[in-house]
Amino acid sequence: MKRHLTVAIATGLTVALGVSGCGKGSSSDDGGSDGKSIKFVAAIYDDNTKPYWDALIKDFEAKNSGYKVQLEMVDWTQMDAKVKTYIQTKQAPDVLNYNAFSDFARDGLIYKASEVVSPSTLGDFTPTFVEQAKYNGEQYGLPFISSARLLFYNKTLFKKAGIAEAPKTWAEVRTDAEKVKKAGATGYGLPLGPEESQAEFYSWAMNNGGGWVDASGKWAINQPANVDTLTFLKGLTQAKLTQPNPETTDRKTVFNQFAQGKVGMAIGGPFTKAGFIDPVNKGLDFGVAPLPSKSGSEHNTLGVMDVLAAFKKSDGKNKEAIKKFLDFFYQKENTSRFLSKEGFLPVTRSAGDALSSDPYMKQFVDALPTSKFAPTSNPAWSAVAGAVKQDLGTSVAGKDPKKVLDDIQKTAEKSG
Amino acid sequence: MKLRERDAGAAARAPRPSALRRAGRALTPLLWLGPSLALITVVVLWPVFEMARTSLLKISSSGVTLGGNGTANYTDLFDEDDLVPVVLRTLGWVAGVVVTTMVLSLAIGQLLNARFPGRRVVRWTVIVPWAASVLMTSLIWKWMLDNYSGLVNRVLLDLHLIDEPVNWLAHPWQAMLWMMWVAVFVSLPFASFVILAGLQTIPGELYEAARVDGAGPLRMYLGITLPLLRPALLIASIINVINVFNSFPIIWAMTGGGPGHATDTTTTFMYKLAFYDQNVGESAAMAVVNFVLILVMVLLYLKAARWREEVR
Repeated sequence: MKRHLTVAIATGLTVALGVSGCGKGSSSDDGGSDGKSIKFVAAIYDDNTKPYWDALIKDFEAKNSGYKVQLEMVDWTQMDAKVKTYIQTKQAPDVLNYNAFSDFARDGLIYKASEVVSPSTLGDFTPTFVEQAKYNGEQYGLPFISSARLLFYNKTLFKKAGIAEAPKTWAEVRTDAEKVKKAGATGYGLPLGPEESQAEFYSWAMNNGGGWVDASGKWAINQPANVDTLTFLKGLTQAKLTQPNPETTDRKTVFNQFAQGKVGMAIGGPFTKAGFIDPVNKGLDFGVAPLPSKSGSEHNTLGVMDVLAAFKKSDGKNKEAIKKFLDFFYQKENTSRFLSKEGFLPVTRSAGDALSSDPYMKQFVDALPTSKFAPTSNPAWSAVAGAVKQDLGTSVAGKDPKKVLDDIQKTAEKSG
Repeated sequence: MKLRERDAGAAARAPRPSALRRAGRALTPLLWLGPSLALITVVVLWPVFEMARTSLLKISSSGVTLGGNGTANYTDLFDEDDLVPVVLRTLGWVAGVVVTTMVLSLAIGQLLNARFPGRRVVRWTVIVPWAASVLMTSLIWKWMLDNYSGLVNRVLLDLHLIDEPVNWLAHPWQAMLWMMWVAVFVSLPFASFVILAGLQTIPGELYEAARVDGAGPLRMYLGITLPLLRPALLIASIINVINVFNSFPIIWAMTGGGPGHATDTTTTFMYKLAFYDQNVGESAAMAVVNFVLILVMVLLYLKAARWREEVR
């Protein structure tokens, strides 16, 4: 009877564990014990992403017999939750495609870049991006794609409103937006919803001398230049020169409206044409201009970089396979194929030349040297960006910009 | 000597089988209860324990556990300006959705219990919102309420009830009411079927007797139907309270708790603490508070409904 009981309990436990999908305590090395199989978690940028990786991996496995890459595609909206779960349950993939790396580096979870790519690959990265991929002076992240932001404007609407050229100063943005509004469209499309309000806000703040940190690298989110910027954006909203409710509008909504010819101006990236405009309205007559600044004298560009990070496994046996795979991906033709399919900018010198032949892409490639980045090498940045995403938009909906920025500053200081 | 030894042996041996048998008899129910007890331990008690344990840990933003954190997660949580409004909103959300659902379900239960042609079709129709994924239902409503191309605005504009499109989900109050409607919509099937089942257990003779005594329909409803429905109502509303309290997909899909925290409930707030603020420990503390809240709510409700009398 006792044995029956044990069996019953064991069965119950097994079923329960199966049902609850308990993965805690399972081996961290689930990619195969021979060190030749690795798991790669890739982010879904658009519909082209999965076919690209499928083809690349097939090619890689054919050329490196015995090596296996297990691919998992994760949507950006699920990514943060997934990554945190992987780490908590000690099931980190061998290679991860993500937008942050510094807290992994701080917690000793990932390899240094020099350990997982060959010296020639390492030397091919553009120095601007290498700087962004460092934590405590060491390069951990592998620059993967980059992107820049410029002002998109609808030429048809501008002509109708009697505007000759793209605005250079904030004052011109405002008057142009008024004219476009009189012509029957939304003047400026302002996405301050939770999707990417940190990028939108920084694109404006950096052209007013503002930013996330001061010269010494300390958080300076509630600095006067930022309050001033947010007050300007709030002014646009209250004068009804933007679409209704910027605080709940995401980028995709703004660009959907832009593509339909209903928005005069909006800030977009190289991916905007292929990802948002072409699928809706291929014939849209639009122009791309530098981001307007308050003074009109300097025009900074928001730079964005995603990275690949290679996770340490207990025995370091995965290093060889990771290196083979990453070096394969960073070959000129493989990287540039990804960039051109997805509409991103290069992070390596060799892939850079290939993209400059396209006049649309060239504008963004040319803007890269003036680009400023979010402080991604600070491990607290994800928490700060999270606070910005949740709360920044409420400032244009009625809250006091200074108070909103003060609160975010407080969160930032608490996070380190 | 020999005799005594044998006696002693016999005396010692005699009670043993009976003790074993008694123990065995006592353990027999365990054989049947064991698997479910084990299941409860593993899928209910263990996660609760893990949740409480996590709320006392310091967890880095990458997800690595750095060690104990004392009660710091709780003090951080209670320092959040948004906590009190979020908790109050959650209580309002639960009360609003559950009361509306129960009132509507009483009516729908009656309808489904009545005899009319096509009753089977109607019963199936009522089940549909339950069978469909809650996330899907929420997304469909989100699209219908869209500012630019939503069906709701189109219809209201065509009826000249509004002059320009309303961005329903961007205004906290309107958004809250629409989401409550969706929550009611997806809660109705379960509640009305529990009530239908309750109605079918009420013997027809009671109504006949009441009719003979000259009771009108209202009197019969208040005097027979409602009192006899109490167990069904109790079960339906408690399960509804728990479901609605923990409801995540509706709010997450429709407003994401925004603008700011204006439409967050404790469940979405908990998620944001973990994945926007990168603070898993504080999020776990929120989960513990949430757990205690719902426990207290259910106990208060059971006490108010005098459930012991029902169970007896």
